Amino acid sequence: MMTLWDASGGQTVMVTSLDPAIDLSVSSRLREMGLDCGDPVLCLRRGPFQGTLVVAIADCVYSLEQHIARKIQVKPL
Amino acid sequence: MKRIILVGKPNSGKSLLFNQLTGLRQKVANFPGVTVELKSGKFEQYQLIDFPGAYSMSTLTRDEEIAVEKINQALLDQQTALIICNLDATRLQSSLMFGMQMQAMAQRYGKPMVFALNMIDEVARFGHQIDVAALSKDLGAPVYAISAKTLEGIAEFKTAVLQDAEQAATEINAEDTAALPALDFSEQVKQSRLLAAKYGIQSTVVLKHQNAIDSFMLSNLSGGIAFLLVMFLLFQSIFTFATPLMDAVETVIGSIASFVTDLTGPGMLADFLNDAIFGGLGSFLVFVPQIMVLTLIIGMLEDSGYLARAALICHKPLSYFGLSGRSFIPFLSAHACAIPAIMAARTIESPRKRLITMLTIPLMSCSARLPVYALLVAVLIPDTRYLGGLVNLQGVAFFGLYFFGIVTALLVSLVLSRSSLNDDAKSDMPFILELPTYRLPHWKPLIHRVTNSAKQFVYRAGPVIFMVSLGIWVLGYFPTGAGGLQDSYLGMMGHWIEPLFAPLGLDWRYGVAILMSFLAREVFVGALGTLFGMDGADENIAGLAANIQADGLTFGAGMGILLFYVVALQCVATVATLKAETGSTKLVTGLVIGYGALAYLLAMLCAQLL
Repeated sequence: MMTLWDASGGQTVMVTSLDPAIDLSVSSRLREMGLDCGDPVLCLRRGPFQGTLVVAIADCVYSLEQHIARKIQVKPL
Repeated sequence: MKRIILVGKPNSGKSLLFNQLTGLRQKVANFPGVTVELKSGKFEQYQLIDFPGAYSMSTLTRDEEIAVEKINQALLDQQTALIICNLDATRLQSSLMFGMQMQAMAQRYGKPMVFALNMIDEVARFGHQIDVAALSKDLGAPVYAISAKTLEGIAEFKTAVLQDAEQAATEINAEDTAALPALDFSEQVKQSRLLAAKYGIQSTVVLKHQNAIDSFMLSNLSGGIAFLLVMFLLFQSIFTFATPLMDAVETVIGSIASFVTDLTGPGMLADFLNDAIFGGLGSFLVFVPQIMVLTLIIGMLEDSGYLARAALICHKPLSYFGLSGRSFIPFLSAHACAIPAIMAARTIESPRKRLITMLTIPLMSCSARLPVYALLVAVLIPDTRYLGGLVNLQGVAFFGLYFFGIVTALLVSLVLSRSSLNDDAKSDMPFILELPTYRLPHWKPLIHRVTNSAKQFVYRAGPVIFMVSLGIWVLGYFPTGAGGLQDSYLGMMGHWIEPLFAPLGLDWRYGVAILMSFLAREVFVGALGTLFGMDGADENIAGLAANIQADGLTFGAGMGILLFYVVALQCVATVATLKAETGSTKLVTGLVIGYGALAYLLAMLCAQLL
């Protein structure tokens, strides 16, 4: 299963599910940010030292750490 | 007094709007989470309160928790006349996400709310126009297009908001509306997206410029080099740019000193003015320009939006020490002052990482240490310049001291992260950070911030230094008079404490200066200025440095004092803030003792080994 962390720079993907193990407050924040099932996400680049992933969601750019990006399942668009 | 409350998403121009409405110059920066405490100011007959920014009413970080707690209290308060929700016009979807949650809450509690559609100038710059009237109709609340930066629409906004607040006071009855159902979460998401799609700018247009700069700033190689260069220039500039200003201050103080002492003639008064006032207080004032340069550069970095990128770059390396990328911002601002830095740690998502950050912030070299470093670096390190004067050996030594503080903080963090400190379920919240748009600094608030930092430096430490200089001078002058320091009351007391400092290779005069500096670190230079002034040093810093050199301070003992000041926690205000933020006297007492013992040990090792 492809996760957001696996997406390459410049690739647009669609969120298919969030890992149920994610803390409830975190998953609701992710949904508010635009990381809910069916939402498109543009993966911009990996941050230096492979620590974070930089993504464009709706009108914002966010940095997500690897640990959380690996818990967001996606499929290529 | 009736209140108007100002809320909004972080980094949406809210603090700048607050400043424009109240005339106050609150700290404004281009980093999410600048308002980490409530700010209030007078806006006509109302009290305007600026709340910390929040992405959502369901919270993730401590600053959001505080924001939501306080918003709920304000909604229940009869004195709250109106809510202004600030929206970033260039990022409508994310702004409306919070705005609509806030609107639902306001309706529930019967409080009127208006929207300030801020940064409208940037929307125009992108060649876009927002149909404000239609957006207002769709939202069911007044919307005012403004730019807090260019002041576009601000005058009209002020008039309209005051009218809205007046009208609300007579019309709204909380009991009538308290039963309104809150908007469903998914419905809020859906509506904010619909409205953003209908009125907002296309995200690809807004983010194009930002992404182009980020492709350089966040790449492995160029991003890393840029980061190191920015940090190196930051610390070098404290020396390079501040030197002419410091020379100017020193010349002015020297001229005043000669003028005044010429007027008084020789005698006890002249001795007092020369040694206690110009030697003690004067030698401390020389460092004001360095404080201003440091604050200016940190402020410019904050305003530009680069700090969020720096936090991202640092996340992985900091995670090895049990910290978050968000710890970088408090660590950097701690180089100006630890107190706002400890407050800024509230933006750290994980309580455990937040606690570790707060406990290690005192190890970052704050501006109060600058005078001590500058004096001793001038004593111990030659003023050699390279690359046409751009790189100064004394500047490199300065960088080394700051670096030592950072490394010590990281090692302490590592130890603390391996302990069971605050090991609860929410202790490991993930690192999620919004990267703001790159912007040019807002010069007016920045310049105010710089002058304010100088004022605070002088007002906070000035009276203490004056009293200490006066006390030292009186104890050192009597009963023997001028030139009899060794046999004075101070000399007698100093010899009594000398054994404590003997393992550090220091005589009683340094012992007195170090003990006095537990009141405020800057006192060290003032106290030495007075002590050496009484022994015949000039009233300027170069003269004091030369006198200390001639007096025979060894390299090891001097380096020991420097490392002592890097590590020891000698600030009463920082200790009080830590106690308030951690809620633990035991923890903070342990920290003061622990850092004190480590500082003493390092100073002793330097004195014995170097």
